[in-house]
Amino acid sequence: MTSAHSKLYSDDVSLVVVIVDTNPFFWAGAALPFADFFGHLIHFVNSLLLLNHLNQVVVIAAGVSSCAYVFDSGNAAASGSPDVAATFAKASRKVEEFVKQDARDTAGNGTVAGGGAASLFSGALSLALCYIQRVFRSGTRHPQPRILCLQGSPDGPEQYVAVMNSIFSAQRSMVPIDSCIVGTQDSAFLQQASYITGGVYLKPQELSGLFQYLAAVFASDLHSRAFLRLPKTLGVDFRASCFCHKKTIDMGYVCSVCLSIFCKYHKKCSTCGSEFSRVMPDLNSMPDQK
Amino acid sequence: MCFIWTKIIRGTTFNEFSVLGILSNLGAAKMPQVMVVARNFMDMVAALPAAKLDMLYDSAFICEAVLRSFPPLAKKYALQMLYVSAPMPAAAMEEWVLDEYASKHKVAIDRLLQLRVFVEVRDRRKEVSYKMNDKFQGNMQKYLVDGGSLPREPISSSVTGRLPTLTELENYALEQWECFLLQLINSSQVERGTSFSSSMMKTFQRGLLSSRDGDAPKLSENGFQFLLMETNAQLWYIMREYISSAEERGVDPTELISFLLELSFHTLGAAYSFNTLTDVQRIAIRDLAELGLVKVQQGRKDSWFIPTKLATNLSSSLSDSSASKEGIVVVETNFRLYAYSASRLHCEILRLFSRVEYQLPNLIVGAITKESLYGAFDNGITAEQIISFLKQNAHPRVADKIPVVPENVTDQIRLWETDRNRVDMVLSHVYEDFPSKDMFEQCCDLARDNGFLLWEDSKKMRLIVRVEFHQEMREFLRRQR
Repeated sequence: MTSAHSKLYSDDVSLVVVIVDTNPFFWAGAALPFADFFGHLIHFVNSLLLLNHLNQVVVIAAGVSSCAYVFDSGNAAASGSPDVAATFAKASRKVEEFVKQDARDTAGNGTVAGGGAASLFSGALSLALCYIQRVFRSGTRHPQPRILCLQGSPDGPEQYVAVMNSIFSAQRSMVPIDSCIVGTQDSAFLQQASYITGGVYLKPQELSGLFQYLAAVFASDLHSRAFLRLPKTLGVDFRASCFCHKKTIDMGYVCSVCLSIFCKYHKKCSTCGSEFSRVMPDLNSMPDQK
Repeated sequence: MCFIWTKIIRGTTFNEFSVLGILSNLGAAKMPQVMVVARNFMDMVAALPAAKLDMLYDSAFICEAVLRSFPPLAKKYALQMLYVSAPMPAAAMEEWVLDEYASKHKVAIDRLLQLRVFVEVRDRRKEVSYKMNDKFQGNMQKYLVDGGSLPREPISSSVTGRLPTLTELENYALEQWECFLLQLINSSQVERGTSFSSSMMKTFQRGLLSSRDGDAPKLSENGFQFLLMETNAQLWYIMREYISSAEERGVDPTELISFLLELSFHTLGAAYSFNTLTDVQRIAIRDLAELGLVKVQQGRKDSWFIPTKLATNLSSSLSDSSASKEGIVVVETNFRLYAYSASRLHCEILRLFSRVEYQLPNLIVGAITKESLYGAFDNGITAEQIISFLKQNAHPRVADKIPVVPENVTDQIRLWETDRNRVDMVLSHVYEDFPSKDMFEQCCDLARDNGFLLWEDSKKMRLIVRVEFHQEMREFLRRQR
């Protein structure tokens, strides 16, 4: 029985925000061509919409230097265009445009160094959380939100602070972050994100059956997850990035006031401005940092 | 605890008393059965013969509606099996859920089997595997690729001219539906009746009204509960009656079921031509228009129908109470009740369990009193039903508060209900003045062995036995003499 005071719909109505990696540097050399991947994604989005007519799906594309909303099932339904095929055609056109625009931005910035460019996941996560906050505040009853990250490219250590902040705000607003890695490397950021927010982290073995993974694991709503045997994370990489050079480090210096992390000793904290009067001895006696 | 009220009737040998033994009975109150009706509809679909059910799955819309009616776990299984063509061993499926939730797994699988979405396959070693219904699988796969299409194309606005706006359509639908409900519960009070034939109306009223010979028909227990349900549940109840009476009218129920489910996938507020309908559907659409599910309009050459919210919510409401309509009721701690509504139907419903004091143009003011509630309980409405009605229809201003209905009011409603349930009357007889202790004990044993003994007092040699056992008791005593 739905009680009127709860602002949620019943258990199995979900709002899924899917963050899709559109990093051309990754997809150029990926085992699974982007077109196939996009096909799986559309299947997955359709199946979510099939499960419950109140389900809502938002797709956010994360490029190298920008991110944008590419699909919103709420808009598609509201605009009165019932032709779903047309809606998806529009979505794929939007992705195409986005990728082009993103490439132009990237070229303009000139920030990319070599092939190891990361996608802007921090921005995409923030967009997703903003969208969810807007739904929370809309006042009417809303579905249960969750975020699914489909990441291929490696983590960008320079986004560490922003990503961690997004993760903590997701945790605060009880939004689980699921992650599905379509690339070759595990992502430390997403491992932590799923671990902290209670989502599922999965790195599929066989990418050609991506839809099956998505349907089996990520399509299940939060309510039925309690009953299911879902993949468990074996280990989580808890390493942090330093604030000064954005490198992933095992050990480092931590500001005693604001807990900022540095890989080298500084006289003054660059984040909060506290001055460290005593000179730290050498690295060996330094507190272990997690 | 045992209250006994006796009324003396002269007996023959022993003094026999007819006793109304009143025993405590704190039985559990019945839970509100709001969702039962909607689920029953899918049971009706499940009860169709296998061949007919498979025929229904020819339509992608029915597959979709059926899938959406499943419990969450079953939905997930169906999705997971969508691209699996080989049968999946049942044992392997059990691995999908955690051990302690095996019961949920069983419910989900049973449901899938009932509706023949999963088909049981046994291999040579008698091990059970499940396979997905081919047609269902095909239709759903197609859905995932193209996202589903429309049952029929809407006709262009150049033909129809101006169509009603969504608000107009919703008002129309609600008006039709309320009018129908009013007629249903009180056929004399309606000034503008629907065009349902009286026999059809009788079918609908069958379960809801009861008429004692000669009297005007009165709402039965079910009828009262029906009024407190939400619109979608009411709608499904009526639809169920409509479909089950289809055979009497010489219409195939399967066709009606498929049409109804299909109807809910039409676009709200778009116009669809009559030319696309079969004869059965054409008759059905006229009836549905009376209920407010569709609006029928007549053009110069063509006529068309426009689905309203009632129709498009039809299949979605199967899975859950998704009606998010704005509530109207505010209950205060002083047991006063304000309903912001101009509808006569609302007034009638409130009158079921409260004393309506006055009615302003947009406001009904009433009070929940002991007398009004006793009236409701007499009609078979439970306290839980009343409370859940008040909660579900809470005004948006109070809907955010916890609790929505003041606790002292809900507690008092429950207390008044248990007041009535505390005592239960059992017709019985008292036997006393036994000539010997021996005889008294023999009597006691006999009654106890047969399970009719209610009470005994060995000191004063008295016992109370249910009225059904009186004859045997008498004969036994006569034999002893």
